[in-house]
Amino acid sequence: MSKPSSDRLAARAPATSRYDTVRLSHGSGGKLTLELIEELFVATFSSAPLEELNDAAVLANPGGRIALATDSHTVKPTFFPGGDIGRLAVAGTVNDLAVMGATPAYMSVAFLLEEGYDMAELERVVRSMKHTADEAGVAIVAGDTKVLGRGHGDGIFINTTGVGFIPDEVNLGVGVVRPGDKVLVNGTLGDHGIAVMSRREGLDLSVELESDVAPLNGLIAAVRRAAPNVRFMRDLTRGGLAAVANEVVRRQAFGLRVFDARVPMNELVEQYSEMLGIDPMLAANEGKVMVIVAPDEAEAALTAMRAHQYGRRAAIIGDIVRRPEGVALVETAYGSRRVLEMPIEEQLPRIC
Amino acid sequence: MTDVLGGVASGFQPEVYKAPALVASLQRRIASIAGGLGRSVKLMHICGTHEHEMGRYALRALLPKGVSVLAGPGCPVCVCDAEYVNLAIQLSLRRDTILTSFGDMLAVPGSIPLDGERRGDVRMSLLDARARGGDVRAVYSVFDAKRIAEQHRDKQVVFFSVGFETTVVAVAAMLRRGVPDNLTIIEANYYTPPATYLLPDLDGFDIEGFILPGHAVTITGLRVYEPLAARGIACAAGGFEPVDVLAAIAALLEQIADGSPRVANPYGRLVKYDGNARAKLELDEVFELAPIRWRGIAEIPASGYKLREPYRAASAARRFSGELDPVVLRGAEHPQGCRCAEVTLGQIRPDQCTAFGSRCTPDSPYGPCMVSHEGTCRAYHTYGMHRETLHVEAV
Repeated sequence: MSKPSSDRLAARAPATSRYDTVRLSHGSGGKLTLELIEELFVATFSSAPLEELNDAAVLANPGGRIALATDSHTVKPTFFPGGDIGRLAVAGTVNDLAVMGATPAYMSVAFLLEEGYDMAELERVVRSMKHTADEAGVAIVAGDTKVLGRGHGDGIFINTTGVGFIPDEVNLGVGVVRPGDKVLVNGTLGDHGIAVMSRREGLDLSVELESDVAPLNGLIAAVRRAAPNVRFMRDLTRGGLAAVANEVVRRQAFGLRVFDARVPMNELVEQYSEMLGIDPMLAANEGKVMVIVAPDEAEAALTAMRAHQYGRRAAIIGDIVRRPEGVALVETAYGSRRVLEMPIEEQLPRIC
Repeated sequence: MTDVLGGVASGFQPEVYKAPALVASLQRRIASIAGGLGRSVKLMHICGTHEHEMGRYALRALLPKGVSVLAGPGCPVCVCDAEYVNLAIQLSLRRDTILTSFGDMLAVPGSIPLDGERRGDVRMSLLDARARGGDVRAVYSVFDAKRIAEQHRDKQVVFFSVGFETTVVAVAAMLRRGVPDNLTIIEANYYTPPATYLLPDLDGFDIEGFILPGHAVTITGLRVYEPLAARGIACAAGGFEPVDVLAAIAALLEQIADGSPRVANPYGRLVKYDGNARAKLELDEVFELAPIRWRGIAEIPASGYKLREPYRAASAARRFSGELDPVVLRGAEHPQGCRCAEVTLGQIRPDQCTAFGSRCTPDSPYGPCMVSHEGTCRAYHTYGMHRETLHVEAV
């Protein structure tokens, strides 16, 4: 499956409301609420538990340990090159489950809408969520809608909570990482952060950057089949590679080394991030995962990644080293080294 | 350095100036000249972007042991006097006012004590002002501020104009072309050369060469640094890619080895000896040089850009002078134990300040040099330059 194009989404059974905009009554629990739920959410998400309109979804348990993840989403702009808040909300939670070794199965969706929010836009978001959930093989089984008075919200907030199942034999975590292990990423870094920021800052760019937002459970499953000794996985969202690399080494008796020249980078992202004064290694991604794997399985993991549509530009970017302990570092193309520091603040434009 | 850079000297090809082979060749050249000198040499750059690039590419690690590069007064955020931060804060809390600023100014503490905090001696920044209801917005350029002023004709829009020669040119260009009358600027632009003229008079000054700030000399030209060469200090214009920085260092070492200090231009693809005539003309029409205080250092004559009379209407300090509280503007004393001034003058390394990394960190900066990515303390902290070595033991 490819990223949803708005044309294709628009062609799908449209659930057109009688109203152009969201009203307070859409969240009051009355007739309008029921209409919105039945005509938009149930009709679009179309899962059996949802159609029953019960107070709770009752779900089958395929066995194994349960993984539970929740995330709330707000993004400006709501629609950005390469995605939208709906795809982001579904993919984000799917990825949080998948990196834990879980197979994502169910999801709940809660909307906080501001009075006056455009109904057609909401419909687009909902269809994008359905599209992404289908791609990830996740059923949306429960939901909630609240409407905030005008001025008390920021258009649309979405919370998603996902449930997945982890087979008993899966043993992933920083605790099983060893010096010598290899560090992989599934493609170019910083695409989402720089794409959203360039749009938000109103940069007049001749070529549009696209966010990488995507559900990665398919790619991760392929990697784990090819490399059974995957030690650790984490999606590289806010704070990017720098944040995750530092989380991995924190209080550990090993370090993580990244070879600058091996980190895949979109040429445009590189240029724009120089203009913005932002390090792409610290910028957010929404479709990238860092995988740490036993050294003898690194090539197999890389091949599996590259065979997947979301891993074409995957690379082995570094390794786990004995020393320095507890430090994430970058080795430059010139052989010199520097610390890869934990990002500490919102990324702000610099003077020059 | 034309032998090294020959054939790649024109056009915008940043990749060429990052090429590992060129870097390695310059590294060998630097080692060879330094070896011939048979003693150690201290150089200084005076540009925050140079410090940032030295950290990002770990360039100091590529130099021979005897060659050190110190950071001088080159970070506009760091040298901006607390009074201007206090002014910005006060204006941001004014009714119907939007305060616009470059992002890296927002977290800089001024000298107004921040009440009600548990962290001890903490001074207020624009971020604190925003948290207290001030309308503070980060912008990329003064033109963003102008756009905001056009969109909000019912409000006063103030642009916190911080920066050196390079940044102030855009402000001059904009003011010449006319701005909405609800836009004013805080005049906190600094002119670097006069500060560098004073450095050789400092006690214990032992810098033998300056890497000149590539962006700034693109505007001013190189002539303004002749007084340094006349005092026996080597000078070379430095660009910002690894090859540019190393080429400048090699050019300085050559002059030191020859005993012939002058103003060299290994960044000739952008820098002209007389600078950018049109930019200088526009700058001179709008601004005049006046004394200005460099934070924690001193008031330096003719080193600040102030609006000339025909443009004074755009001065925020003038427009709001009647309602400003002089006590708040002056603020408190400089935070105790902060040695940013010595860091800025290249007299100590950041890690020689006891606050570095303990009381003063990037997420809770005590002094101005820990705030901006171009601040020397911040760059040292971010890239771990204060660590003796980053020795790696791989499997």
